[in-house]
Amino acid sequence: MNRDKFEPLILGFACNWCAYAGADLAGVSRFQYPPNMRIIRVMCSGRVDPTFVLKAFASGADGVFIGGCHPGDCHYIEGNYKARRRYELLKKMLPQYGIESERLRLEWISASEGARFAEVVMDFINVIKELGALGKRQDQ
Amino acid sequence: MAKLKLGLYWAASCGGCDVAVLDTNEKILDIAQIADLVFWPIALDFKYHHVEAMEDKAIDVCLFNGAVRSSEQERIARLLRAKSKTMVAFGSCACFGGIPALANFTNRAEIMERAYVEAPSNDNLDRTFPRIQTEVAEGELELPELYDTVLTLAQVVDVEYFVPGCPPPVDLILKIVDALATNSLPPPGAVIASEKTLCDECDRKKEEKMISKIYRSHEIIPDPERCLLEQGILCMGPATRGGCGARCIKVNMPCRGCFGPPAGVVDQGAKLVSAIASIYQAKNDEDIARMVEEIVDPAGTFYRFGLADSILKRKRLQKLESGG
Amino acid sequence: MNVPEVVEYVKGLPDIVHAERNLFTCSEEGISAIKKGIKGHNLNRVIVASCTPRTHEPLFRAACEEAGLNKYLFEFVNIRDQCSWVHMREPEKATQKAKDLIRMGVAKARLLEPLEEVETPVIPSCMVMGGGVVGMSAALNLAEQGFEVHLVEKGKGLGGTLLDLYKLFPTNEQASKLVESAIQKVAAQSKIKAYLSTRVKDVRGFIGNFEVVLDQDGKESEIKVGTIIVAIGAEELKPVHQYGYGKFPNVVTQLELEQRMKKGEFEGQNVVMINCVGARIPERTYCSRFCCMTAVKNATLIRESNPASKVWILHRDLMAYGEDFENYYRWSMEQGVRFIRYDREKPPQVIGDGTAEKVRVWHQLRGREIELPADMVVLTTPLIPRADNEEISKMLKVPLSEQGFFLEAHVKLMPLEFATEGIYICGSARWPTEIAEGVAQAYGAAAKAAIPMRRGYVKPEAITSYVNEDLCGGCGICFEMCPYSAIEIKAENGKRVAHCITALCKGCGTCGAACPSGAISMNHFTDEQILAQIAALTA
Repeated sequence: MNRDKFEPLILGFACNWCAYAGADLAGVSRFQYPPNMRIIRVMCSGRVDPTFVLKAFASGADGVFIGGCHPGDCHYIEGNYKARRRYELLKKMLPQYGIESERLRLEWISASEGARFAEVVMDFINVIKELGALGKRQDQ
Repeated sequence: MAKLKLGLYWAASCGGCDVAVLDTNEKILDIAQIADLVFWPIALDFKYHHVEAMEDKAIDVCLFNGAVRSSEQERIARLLRAKSKTMVAFGSCACFGGIPALANFTNRAEIMERAYVEAPSNDNLDRTFPRIQTEVAEGELELPELYDTVLTLAQVVDVEYFVPGCPPPVDLILKIVDALATNSLPPPGAVIASEKTLCDECDRKKEEKMISKIYRSHEIIPDPERCLLEQGILCMGPATRGGCGARCIKVNMPCRGCFGPPAGVVDQGAKLVSAIASIYQAKNDEDIARMVEEIVDPAGTFYRFGLADSILKRKRLQKLESGG
Repeated sequence: MNVPEVVEYVKGLPDIVHAERNLFTCSEEGISAIKKGIKGHNLNRVIVASCTPRTHEPLFRAACEEAGLNKYLFEFVNIRDQCSWVHMREPEKATQKAKDLIRMGVAKARLLEPLEEVETPVIPSCMVMGGGVVGMSAALNLAEQGFEVHLVEKGKGLGGTLLDLYKLFPTNEQASKLVESAIQKVAAQSKIKAYLSTRVKDVRGFIGNFEVVLDQDGKESEIKVGTIIVAIGAEELKPVHQYGYGKFPNVVTQLELEQRMKKGEFEGQNVVMINCVGARIPERTYCSRFCCMTAVKNATLIRESNPASKVWILHRDLMAYGEDFENYYRWSMEQGVRFIRYDREKPPQVIGDGTAEKVRVWHQLRGREIELPADMVVLTTPLIPRADNEEISKMLKVPLSEQGFFLEAHVKLMPLEFATEGIYICGSARWPTEIAEGVAQAYGAAAKAAIPMRRGYVKPEAITSYVNEDLCGGCGICFEMCPYSAIEIKAENGKRVAHCITALCKGCGTCGAACPSGAISMNHFTDEQILAQIAALTA
């Protein structure tokens, strides 16, 4: 596979109050990053059901990103902690499915971290580029 | 009233579902009163050509147990579908893949390697494997092809009803037989079990769904009165359809999930990952690491019966890059 | 990006009956285009692909509502902040991304359901927690507007920290005068009921209807209020084992100094003050903001009362913001207070035998160590969160910051309220605050609290969870998820079922993600809607 030509498709979940707001700030600040990620807004990272992550991989995503509030800053007090635990267990399970755990990423991004949002997304895209395509996983 | 024509078949299964039919004990006589068995490989001497010779839709009801993982099983599934008015996925393997579908965490090549080379009892230095076609003096022999991926029955043919369970409990078998006899079947697509989860029919005392240690079954003697999950035992009940009468729970064993996902759930295993991780009392990184370590085999535990029917269905099959 | 191309693409998506381009959809023209579209094409879903829902969703929702469409049938796709503005050098890929995002939005919109917001009444009564100057200011403000106020103070009397202070900067007025006048006003105000020696033991309910259990010296009582203001202040750090504090009797904190000055018990010829003790260090990174001014004030007052005395302030930086404070600082230098800057890497040392006798400090400008005689050493320490903040935050279901202060809903736009509706915050409970700021915040919090009480009802957003009782097995996992106690487990005939108390639900959806039976739906972010969005990732 030609790594230079491979453009990963990444699905992101961003909480309304922090990560999504961080993405907005990245926009307002005109921080440039590659256009590989599609974001779905949720109210809290705690809303992200592992079902959604698996569905994303099954629907053609090469990587899945979850963005939440920093520990202690969750708009809903502790939804991000729930997200964190589910994420860690998912990361253990994904390799059993032959999916590298690095293809799933959880990051805390505050509403004021527009630059960090852009950096983190860029870094994740690079990680997925290294890993290569996961491909659309239909029934084999 | 004409007697029903009933067919039974076993595909990738252990035979337990067939035995479950016999477990109806004296009630099997009632079944015999209303139905003629026209096909049942485990018990009766009908051959495939007998089925092939039938008219389409000649069988009223086919109880098909077992998953589909070979060309033979797929062929017979299609054949029985054509010959049956009503197709019932009978048992967890036919419904969701069941235990055989754990093979979806590996692939045909690995299975062959294990079974014919690595297994300690093998003496196979020539690496001889079963082949689909083999020339012998008497002519060509043919074996069914083993698939990389274990399938549910519904992934191969249309299915009217699902009777889950490993094996289906007798009262559910009688329920569907009764419905057949009285022509009171639910709308097609129905699962003949509860709409709710196992917890609904589990009598154990439920207090606080919070756990701070997960025990494997050899590490603890559970309190027979309290919710097993609250005691730190991985019980699949919260994400498993009820209808079994909590039979494992009653003998102090956790639910292993054989009734598959409840009506509102897309992916049983993902829901279990979410639920268990959510209630684990992890305050810091070490707690989370401990949780992850204590759940030794998440995929195998949470998808013990449901892998073939899950969102991802199987382990990713690596495409050979060198082959171009 | 190529907007006309995107519009053409969207026109071709299933179920799309009309798509148009507007230069500014949020302008009057764009809004009327939405309304016209809804009526003209008999639309039952509207999608705007433009900027961010975080700022403009209310506007477009209102437009839908005015045209007779339930506002929850509106979906927002952000192709500005997440697309045109961040992929400026890759217009083709940005155009493709915009198409993808809109396709996903359409997939969700197809499954959107109309939702009704339920009106609930608001009791025109407020509980103010904390009877200091900030709490009293909030209580007076509300009472003067005609609202009933329950002012709850855990101490024996009203007044709070001000009771211990001597004089206040920048006016040098007596703290006792200011606080006594406030106490008198509270006493004279018939709308305020003050509870002394009282703790809040439990809070249940939600905006408009909180049920509060008070514990007054072991005697419990219950009150019902519509809103709650948290004004419990903060406390001074006691720097035990630092700079001889606790070891030498003549090493005190600024607050202890003021108590002595107030009683007229202060004596000291050579006074050394050390600022930033326990502040702006790795384990307590914040600046307490007004303690520099406290030191400057106390030093100046000492010099004023005893011109023969010598007073040094050893500081790291000096926080004297605004005109009044800056003037005060200049005046203190004119009064002979001496300022020496020290380096955190080379902190001052308090030396003595039985009592502190001198302070040794590295003088940055002279480039050498100097020794200052000291018959009193005063340590300037920051305000720290009260020990019971954690308990109160759990009771009210409002968050604390990493440092342990109460955390407002939004640092810029919602500084005096919590995400939990009906609960407001002011004063040093939120962040170390000097008196004028604290009082201003009290007025702000009171004004915010008055809004729902004046209106008489609230209409919480309909983005709440919903339990399908036909599917719920009663496992109880959701109950543990909810930080707002919005989920209750009902048991009838031995069968357990979860139930969502809609008015308490804030709509995070954590319960829905955890619910293993699929019984919980998160309105407006349902499994079906999100799964459809995901499935539309690739067309």
